[in-house]
Amino acid sequence: MRKYILKRILRSIISVFIVVSIVIAMIFTLIPRTKVLDLDTSYRKMTGDNKTAYRFTTFEKLGYLDFVRISDICAESENPSACSVNKSAEQQAMLEKYENDGYTVEYFRNGTPYAYHDYTVFELALNFWKNLVKFDSVNFVEKTYGVTDLEKKYYIGKDENNFPAIMCSGCEYKYQVYFGHGFPFVHQNMVKLYFGISFPTKSGMHTLDVINEEQGSQKAILQTFPTGVELESPLNQMTAKYKPNVDHLDQTRFTDNYADCKSYYESPSMVETSYIFGIISLVIAYAIGLPAGMGMARNKDGIWDKLGVAIINFLIALPSLALIFFVRQIGSMVFQLPDKFPLLGFGNIKSYIAPILILSLLSLPGLMTWTRRYMIDQSNSDYVKFAKAKGLSQREIFTKHILKNAVIPIVNGIPASIILCISGALITESAFAIPGMGKMLPDAINKMNNNMVITLTFIFAALSIFSVLLGDLLMTLVDPRIQLAEKKRGSE
Amino acid sequence: MSEKVIKTTDDLDPSMFEFQRADDSASEHIAAPKYSYWGSVFRRFFSNKIAILMLIVAVTVVLFAFIQPMISGYDHMKTPNINNKSMHYIRPFKSFKYIFGTDDKGNSLFDALWSGARNSLFIAIAATFITESIGIIVGMFWGFSKKMDVVMIEIYNVLSNIPTMLIAMILVYALGAGFGQLIFALSVTSWISTAYFIRVQVMIIRDREYNLASQCLGTPTYKIILNNILPYLISIIITSVSRDVPAFISYEVALSFMGVGLGQQHASLGRMVQNYAPYMTSAPYLFWIPVITTAVISVSLYIVGQALADASDPRTHMI
Repeated sequence: MRKYILKRILRSIISVFIVVSIVIAMIFTLIPRTKVLDLDTSYRKMTGDNKTAYRFTTFEKLGYLDFVRISDICAESENPSACSVNKSAEQQAMLEKYENDGYTVEYFRNGTPYAYHDYTVFELALNFWKNLVKFDSVNFVEKTYGVTDLEKKYYIGKDENNFPAIMCSGCEYKYQVYFGHGFPFVHQNMVKLYFGISFPTKSGMHTLDVINEEQGSQKAILQTFPTGVELESPLNQMTAKYKPNVDHLDQTRFTDNYADCKSYYESPSMVETSYIFGIISLVIAYAIGLPAGMGMARNKDGIWDKLGVAIINFLIALPSLALIFFVRQIGSMVFQLPDKFPLLGFGNIKSYIAPILILSLLSLPGLMTWTRRYMIDQSNSDYVKFAKAKGLSQREIFTKHILKNAVIPIVNGIPASIILCISGALITESAFAIPGMGKMLPDAINKMNNNMVITLTFIFAALSIFSVLLGDLLMTLVDPRIQLAEKKRGSE
Repeated sequence: MSEKVIKTTDDLDPSMFEFQRADDSASEHIAAPKYSYWGSVFRRFFSNKIAILMLIVAVTVVLFAFIQPMISGYDHMKTPNINNKSMHYIRPFKSFKYIFGTDDKGNSLFDALWSGARNSLFIAIAATFITESIGIIVGMFWGFSKKMDVVMIEIYNVLSNIPTMLIAMILVYALGAGFGQLIFALSVTSWISTAYFIRVQVMIIRDREYNLASQCLGTPTYKIILNNILPYLISIIITSVSRDVPAFISYEVALSFMGVGLGQQHASLGRMVQNYAPYMTSAPYLFWIPVITTAVISVSLYIVGQALADASDPRTHMI
């Protein structure tokens, strides 16, 4: 069994790897890169050499190419001052060397040369996977900033709620593992995923931070800083990062160089927003769908069963967009609910009702049909006939025997539905302008935010693939007869 | 009660009878009522009143979508009335010429609607056709060949776990907006779930006695598939088609609504919903007519498909 799980995990990783590599290859090669800059307002205003330099630095930031200025070229030369003179023999030799390495040399209008190298598809994918995982180590500060007098050690400290936290001196982050506010409640800074930089929306931010960080305006919280100062400040001390140069303001609050903090904001992050909506709607869908499906199966061909099937068919056939707008319109006309989420925002319960109702309605028909189907299939099986022959009451057969067996395939789907809540409902979030993950993908596509698209693809693909694995494992827990390992093949 | 009572056989008039030749082969025939598969399918289908109603709706809508744009010659990119303010926002049912009114550019909503419906339907039907034909062909062989199963199951595991919407969005984004691209994006991965579905059915039927017998007698695989197995799957295939068409319409509408479906140069139901969404309060008919049309098309096609699938299942043909 353990071997099987390991194998499945390995396979899942390979699946994610293949899918994301294909997406990277497609996005970087098929989409004209100049389109990325079309939406950039500052680029449009520039002229001449500035524009060229800006273009290349942007492409380099986004991972399209490797851009080298003359100063960097000459830094490698034996005689940097001679090299920096345009058209000198020294410079020509260096440029030739770069050309031989696969770089293209071009000249600015003022005659200064520069070189760039377009990454091939393989290099692009390789760069992505190479930079993906970043580990924080005790040697980080020494390696990056050359600071040698800082003590290098891990130790147990206390976090903001006085829970124990693993802390570090010498690492990039002061708090390595801690309990903290906000989803998912246990946080870590030891391993970071790096997906590249968001551009042109939220320009310069890491894509993962964009979806993970809280939104809205800053929220000041009364807190005590390491120096003992008590202040109303939005800084989140748990995210303290090493800062090579601390200014006066930092010194009044922090005793060491770990002073680069992120801030608290009013509203939850994109991931959290999607999760709130997803989980509540899921609970509602299961709470209605399971009993309804069971009831229908129990009174098969009765009036309620027929009505239920008709409703299910209608919901399946109705395009989701039409359903979303119908419910939204009814909500805003009859119950005065807002038709856009930001109208009342996170604080008001009214903003949640319509989207949650829609999300539940969208997952309800599938859940009801499958529950009904499994129950009916089970009730035709031999053990049910036997139970009937032995004189068990209809109720006993249903609750004690059929239900237990029918629930197994339903359990298989639960992890997937819970985990995929994070990915958010693409259309619902777009229609209500909910600032969640689901809305982020079409937004990123329309804004040509390539790195963001890749990040979201990675997250969605990984979540869906691993949730299927989790569902299978959960199924074996519920029903010990099911064995996932190879043995099953022999009995087939 | 006849007046004349016949007492013996001698009283019978020989002219009442005629001679018949004894037919030995007739005794060999098994007496059974005449059965025609498609006859039964249609009898069964037309006994369902809701199905007939929905069929009329679906046929009307589809015919309108494919014929009306030819007559009106509507071009999404031409806006002849854009500078004539009096032609903008004519409410529906005010004039016969603009029965559904006009939009923000002075174009007839009626013409735009059918031209959009045609494109959306075309995409849905083309994607369904590709998905189903590849899916059925691959699924048939997949169910039969154990070697193929090993490879295909791996491909299925990778592709089926990723949401179709995600794949379609990424593909349209990478390939650019357009008819071909959208159809490709919708069908490039969805065929594998159809193939998987067919595979399971084929595996169930494959080892039944009559197929084993057929194999023993030396029937080639393709003939077994074509003559023994395919007829069995008709109802399953129709069910799958009836689910695919509305699903693809829904996908097209959703993708275009989010701005990643067809480009601006093509009219489509999704595009219309997206373009007219800002007029939801000021000119609600602009928004609601396309949405309702989408719903009517999907629901009618789905119900017709389901009824046809039920009718084409031979088990329902009991007399």
